[in-house]
Amino acid sequence: MGRVIVITSGKGGVGKTTTSANIGTALAKAGQKVILIDTDIGLRNLDLLLGLENRIVYTIIDVVEGRCKLKQALVKDKKNPNLCLLAAAQTRDKSALSQEQLKSICDELKEDNDFVIVDCPAGIEQGFQNAIAGATEAIIVTTPEMSAVRDADRIIGLLEAKEEIESYKLLLNRVRPNLVQSNDMMSVDDVVDILSCSLIGIIPEDIGVITSTNKGEPIVNDEQSLAGQAYQNVAKRIMGEEIDFLNLDEPKGVVAKIKKFFAGLFGKEQKA
Amino acid sequence: MKEIFTDLYKKVVGFFQIQEKENEKDVEGNRQVACNRLKLVLMQDRTNLTPFLLERMRGEMIELLSKYVEMDTEALELNFEQEGDSMALMLSIPVLRAKDEEEIQELIKLEEEAKTKVIEEEASQEDEEEIFEASEEESDEDIDEDISEEVCSCGCENADESSNSPDEIEEIQDGSAKNCNEKTKK
Repeated sequence: MGRVIVITSGKGGVGKTTTSANIGTALAKAGQKVILIDTDIGLRNLDLLLGLENRIVYTIIDVVEGRCKLKQALVKDKKNPNLCLLAAAQTRDKSALSQEQLKSICDELKEDNDFVIVDCPAGIEQGFQNAIAGATEAIIVTTPEMSAVRDADRIIGLLEAKEEIESYKLLLNRVRPNLVQSNDMMSVDDVVDILSCSLIGIIPEDIGVITSTNKGEPIVNDEQSLAGQAYQNVAKRIMGEEIDFLNLDEPKGVVAKIKKFFAGLFGKEQKA
Repeated sequence: MKEIFTDLYKKVVGFFQIQEKENEKDVEGNRQVACNRLKLVLMQDRTNLTPFLLERMRGEMIELLSKYVEMDTEALELNFEQEGDSMALMLSIPVLRAKDEEEIQELIKLEEEAKTKVIEEEASQEDEEEIFEASEEESDEDIDEDISEEVCSCGCENADESSNSPDEIEEIQDGSAKNCNEKTKK
């Protein structure tokens, strides 16, 4: 029996879809059988991030409206046969799906898969209610910005009110350590303290995320990138491993400053 | 030779100056501003009090407290704040003048007379709704007495926690003192 995890955030643009694609890919790479469900009907994008946009024949709406079987609608990933995508329809809206329908799809898929990852649309309306209907766990994606944290707090309130959600964790995305150090951005501790929610991952801001999206290949496939490593660690934590968070801080303190100072001194003398 | 030494001296001094500047930044970072604003707005989001209800609460509080002190009702601030894990209702009132005991006694007398009248009327009318309202008024008065116990030197009212309602009512001495100063400047 698999686990159904919903990736949600409230606010749009914080990285729900990127997180879904990367966690799904990382879990599949670790040998787990994973299904990714895009519930953002009318605004589907998960297919793009996985590079599967040209392979979609049937969507989740075709399944619920009986035009195909559930298995027919699952699109296998290019690289990893353990990973499948159930795409959203692009020509319909959120009302085309009901909570009961999504729940029965999740229940059916978790029978013979290890993980069902549900990518939730932004907002707290029907799309959100649909997405969380079949889930028992949630990952709340947020960034260290006021609006994103506020929306995450609202989502936490809604998830807490839902009995079926047994646990929820926070994933802090797009952290910029240099801005935190100069006190221009809220730190990880600040956000965790404000939301009083336990963390499952800290993802640093990484240009690689943009380029990997362009290529249609999740950044976890790039083992050199910091964001890729961070997503890999999130997947490991989901599977129950205890892994320390990546140290994103630049060297700080008097020693580092003295080093910088001397580097500057010699640099100038050499020029002279 | 002299130039080299002055250059070195400047660099050494500059090194320490940079450190001082960074320390200053630690105290007044806009990260802290964001945290504080966010905590405040989340407090409001988490309560189910609508702006309308908050305004009503404010009005009722002014009505109660004005029996004991003359205050600047325009500048009265009522906010939710986080203190550790618990939520606090912070009330900051710029006090213009503390009333004399005589004035207060007179007002209390007037109110008690009015109350007994109401109770008498209720007894005759046997209206359940009005009895309910009167009992509410009584409990409000308890809070009121707790708050007005302490008066600070600047003429501002300062009351420590009163555990009368689920939310704690506090008065920030610093905040009200500032308000007072601003008042005198004007």
